[in-house]
Amino acid sequence: MQFGIFTVGDVTPDPTNGREPTEHERIKAMVAIARKAEEVGLDVFATGEHHNEPFVPSSPTTMLGYIAAQTEKLLLSTATTLITTNDPVKIAEDYAMLQHLADGRVDLMMGRGNTGPVYPWFGKDIRAGIPLAVENYALLHRLWREHVVDWKGRYRTPLQSFTSTPRPLDGIPPFVWHGSIRSPEIAEQAAFYGDGFFANHIFWPASHTQRMVALYRERFAHYGHGDPDQAIVGLGGHVFMRRNSQDAVREFRPYFDNAPVYGHGPSLEEFARETPMTVGSPQEVIDRTLGFRDYVGDYQRQLFVVDHAGLPLKTVLEQLDLLGEEVVPVLRKEFAALKPAHVPEAPTHASLLAAREAGEKAEVTA
Amino acid sequence: MRQRTLVVISGGLSRPSSTRLLADRLSAAAAERAAGLGVAVSVRVVELRDLAHDLMNHLLTGFPPAPLREVLDAVEAADGLIAVTPIFNASYSGLFKSFFDVLGKDTLDGKPVLLAATGGTARHSLALEHAVRPMFAYLRAAPVPTSVFAASQDWGGDEAEGQLRVRVARAAEELAREIERREPAAVADPFALTTSFEELLAGG
Repeated sequence: MQFGIFTVGDVTPDPTNGREPTEHERIKAMVAIARKAEEVGLDVFATGEHHNEPFVPSSPTTMLGYIAAQTEKLLLSTATTLITTNDPVKIAEDYAMLQHLADGRVDLMMGRGNTGPVYPWFGKDIRAGIPLAVENYALLHRLWREHVVDWKGRYRTPLQSFTSTPRPLDGIPPFVWHGSIRSPEIAEQAAFYGDGFFANHIFWPASHTQRMVALYRERFAHYGHGDPDQAIVGLGGHVFMRRNSQDAVREFRPYFDNAPVYGHGPSLEEFARETPMTVGSPQEVIDRTLGFRDYVGDYQRQLFVVDHAGLPLKTVLEQLDLLGEEVVPVLRKEFAALKPAHVPEAPTHASLLAAREAGEKAEVTA
Repeated sequence: MRQRTLVVISGGLSRPSSTRLLADRLSAAAAERAAGLGVAVSVRVVELRDLAHDLMNHLLTGFPPAPLREVLDAVEAADGLIAVTPIFNASYSGLFKSFFDVLGKDTLDGKPVLLAATGGTARHSLALEHAVRPMFAYLRAAPVPTSVFAASQDWGGDEAEGQLRVRVARAAEELAREIERREPAAVADPFALTTSFEELLAGG
């Protein structure tokens, strides 16, 4: 199972002292966080993509390419790549290039984006969010798999004899996850292609995630990719830890109370009850996270959000120490012990390459 | 007898409230009239005051806390609705509006609704027609023709009480008939796929 972190890349003032990082500081902090993730033994770093303030990560492959050069094992991903407003041709090219530079340590997660004005800035209409996601991804899927593509759709200029360059590393497209909070069409899309499905699992009650994942698993089997429990599922998670549970609550409360998304709304305690957010000791995070399996089944990827709402970099790095030293080693062991052998790990470049070579060998032998 | 459900939304803020008093009279009358038509109506009364914090949290976080979710589900599954608001500044109260703002899209589509309101004097009564009814029209609900307004003076005096009684009976009769002539409400599954992926791929 893969463990990691994902960041939205918000620039938010620290509510305890009013200090707001500059964009430069925030961008460099995201890099420091990614490097720390590798140092403490996490598997995945994923960045969001935004084209509006107060968010800085508008150019994910630039950032991930820079991080790739400074890391060795970390898998670089996105949460999410906007499949609606980006040109699928540019996604195909940018992420293939990143794949080469990072020696295959790349996958990505498709998402639609939920900010109305962003769509028209890129010449699109949010009301066509689902059709855009479906058509653009269908093209992207072909661009990575077919050398020469003729294509015509509703949302971009037709292509005649087009080849996206560079070709994916070793001819193997990056593995793709599809993220959605509440659109069954996106769970269906992930199932149709046999891709991964990632449930945000932060802002909504667990019952909701349970339904979306169940739908994805059922449709994954329907399209013949395997049994429902062999579908590739990822979950978000939202944690703040201190050794002592009360210290975690006391320290995190001002950040929670003023957070951009849920601030000035429910109390920390109410939100922790209604959603999978855990504020407490490492042991509490371990217990709650192990419980996710009870309603989504054995799953392949767990990403936590740890660097938001104005938390200072120093605090975030301490969170990563706790994750890497106390939480993830236990989760790895416990989840592995529970997982039946027929449930696969999430595909990586290395595993897809090995599977292809094994297939070729089998063909030769036959 | 056939079974149907009726949810009563009462936006009164005080306890006891005249809004709740009116809501109870309307629901009792509607249940009685429905029984006369061979329909047993189970009545669920919701005081929005109890959900005020949850409503605000829903507006801010985008999802309903469990107690509110349960009420929203009950409204969606209801065969009829009685919606009673105090009139504030010539319109429904903010709390009442907030409830209908977080109700899922299409929840009230074609659903019979009895509109009612309370206020200090009868001068506020037409707010029902000018403010409350248009919102339910927008939500594509099926409000019955008679709406019921109760002013303070309606709760005293023989003649006034008689007039309120007549209006309550007429509106309740209309609501009962609308519930009686419809099939039970069907609840849409938000996770159900409405188009096949092949159709989506083809631009459906």
